[in-house]
Amino acid sequence: MKAVGARLPRYDGMGHVTGHTRFVDDVRVPGMLWAKALRSPHHHAAIVHMDTSKAAAMPGVHTIVTWEDVPLLEYGHLSGLGIPADEPLLARDVVRYKGQPIALVAADDEETASAAAAAIEIEYEERPALLDVRLAFDEDAPKIHHWGNWYPHFEEEMDVRQIRKGNIDQAFEDADKIISGVYRSSAIEQAPVETQVGLAVPEPDGRLTIYSCTQALYFSLGVVAAHLEVPLNKVKIVGGTVGGGFGGKVDTATDTVIALAAQKTGRPVKWRWTREEEFLASSTRGPWHMEIIDAVTNDGWILGRKMLTLHDSGAYARFSPYGLTKHSFHHTGAYTIPNLHFDGYVVFTNRVPSTAMRGFGVTSISFAGETHMTRVANELGMDPYEIRLKNANRVGDTSPNRIRYTDPSTVDVVKAIANAEGRDLEPALAGMTRATRSGEMLPPHLVDQLDTSEGSH
Amino acid sequence: MKLEVNGVNREVRSEPLTPLLDVLREELDVTSPKAGCHAGGCGACTVMVDGKPRRSCLIPVAAVDGASITTVEGLGTPKDPSAVQQSFIHHYAAQCGFCTPGMVVAATAYIDGGGSDDKDEIAKAISGHVCRCTGYTKILDAIAAATKQTEFDITIIAPDPTTVTIGGSE
Ligand code: FES
Ligand code: FES
Repeated sequence: MKAVGARLPRYDGMGHVTGHTRFVDDVRVPGMLWAKALRSPHHHAAIVHMDTSKAAAMPGVHTIVTWEDVPLLEYGHLSGLGIPADEPLLARDVVRYKGQPIALVAADDEETASAAAAAIEIEYEERPALLDVRLAFDEDAPKIHHWGNWYPHFEEEMDVRQIRKGNIDQAFEDADKIISGVYRSSAIEQAPVETQVGLAVPEPDGRLTIYSCTQALYFSLGVVAAHLEVPLNKVKIVGGTVGGGFGGKVDTATDTVIALAAQKTGRPVKWRWTREEEFLASSTRGPWHMEIIDAVTNDGWILGRKMLTLHDSGAYARFSPYGLTKHSFHHTGAYTIPNLHFDGYVVFTNRVPSTAMRGFGVTSISFAGETHMTRVANELGMDPYEIRLKNANRVGDTSPNRIRYTDPSTVDVVKAIANAEGRDLEPALAGMTRATRSGEMLPPHLVDQLDTSEGSH
Repeated sequence: MKLEVNGVNREVRSEPLTPLLDVLREELDVTSPKAGCHAGGCGACTVMVDGKPRRSCLIPVAAVDGASITTVEGLGTPKDPSAVQQSFIHHYAAQCGFCTPGMVVAATAYIDGGGSDDKDEIAKAISGHVCRCTGYTKILDAIAAATKQTEFDITIIAPDPTTVTIGGSE
């Protein structure tokens, strides 16, 4: 236990400060080819014609990988959870976001690879692009996928993540005031200083070794093996040192396509993205559109919440259904609201696909929920600390998905913020703890939601 | 063309307009300078050219023919790390480590040039260096400390006086 509360040296600190840490782009193998991609210049277009023959014949070009080379073209990052595959590794007849990869050239050097990628003959037919998640949700919006702009991705025919708890109609009937707000957060690029990079090396025994900057080694292993339709033991992923990821290196950006190029050529292939490509085509934190309607009482209790959330997944779903699920479980934030009606959709747009970034799905509702709490306090003419402490999660309260809170920290955090701001709270609020509700803090509307079992879930 | 890299004379065969960064990394296998942007925007490729910090991605190698280049490997080794390198470890100023080679070179140049422990001055000295991990605070602490001290404990396991306990105990 001597490590708890102690200062431990970083195990990789010495390598970092002396320049000896080996990142993926620092790995050298003989005979390496360099890759560059042909990417979509359009947000949304049909590919009506493509011919790689002239580019492939250029001196120094070893191969051009296109959709025709991919054994399993369409993949779903969450297909293990029953969410259908929707994303082709390389675009076939449609491009749905600007920067979407269409072909990968492997050549003797990066200049040759770039020139060959630019020499691929391709014709597009532009289609209207949807770049706003709310507009993409309109019934008459142009369709991005054949099933529409959101699809059944949860159990069976459900096209929406729902939460129903308590009696929402009663809550709105009992309310003194109804207070609503619309909150939107924008996309954020994780922007690690190391751009996406990978190196695939074909081994003499037929296996592939992939040096990867992934944040999720075993995940990438599964993704590569699935696309190549080979058993897991044919692929070895070497990772460990990531030059910053912040969620942006959870999706498998380079590994699968370079694996195919290495297989085709029998040569090691390295693909490193430029900073421009990183900003253009690497996945971002997704934008959110959140509409909150609260049923409140004049003395500051929140009886019920109706909420509609549209999560902009970009052109393909990837992890967005998972992010939306987390979002739904947290949609009351640090507060206990017993009557709930939540609908959430993963909506497609022609943006780059969204992915993980620190607490994705949860930070959006924290922003919307906390802003809304202050709005409610302002409209009631109440102290924003008081309304937060009253409705704060307490031991035994239950979350939107009916998990019993065993040790919630809302009360302590709100009090610490008041303290840091130099605010003196009334004695009743200052003395509040996280302990189970009682007395004035247990009004009738919060009785039924309490879980009085002692154990934790 | 010729370069003296970390005290060793090297022959250079790359094209004259090749960026110094690519010559170091791809021709000479000196991989500590990193390519965060290849466009002068991040500072990860910073090396010393005749003692001055420079962005190696922006310099055509012909422009520095005959110069002496120092990268972070040339400032200290794992067996004998410099004061700045020790201070970065002691203060946890390297997180993912990708910006670190450029940061350590810039910090060393700042201190060699007589820079003080004034945090505003230090911030100016590293203002062209992007770090996405640390939030810069620990880097400023590390550089400030290295202006005054040459030895840092980099192995210590001791209670952290800044540890804060949050929350009640009921
Ligand atoms: S690589 Fe030179 S400044 Fe970014
Ligand atoms: S330590 Fe990761 S970018 Fe600075």
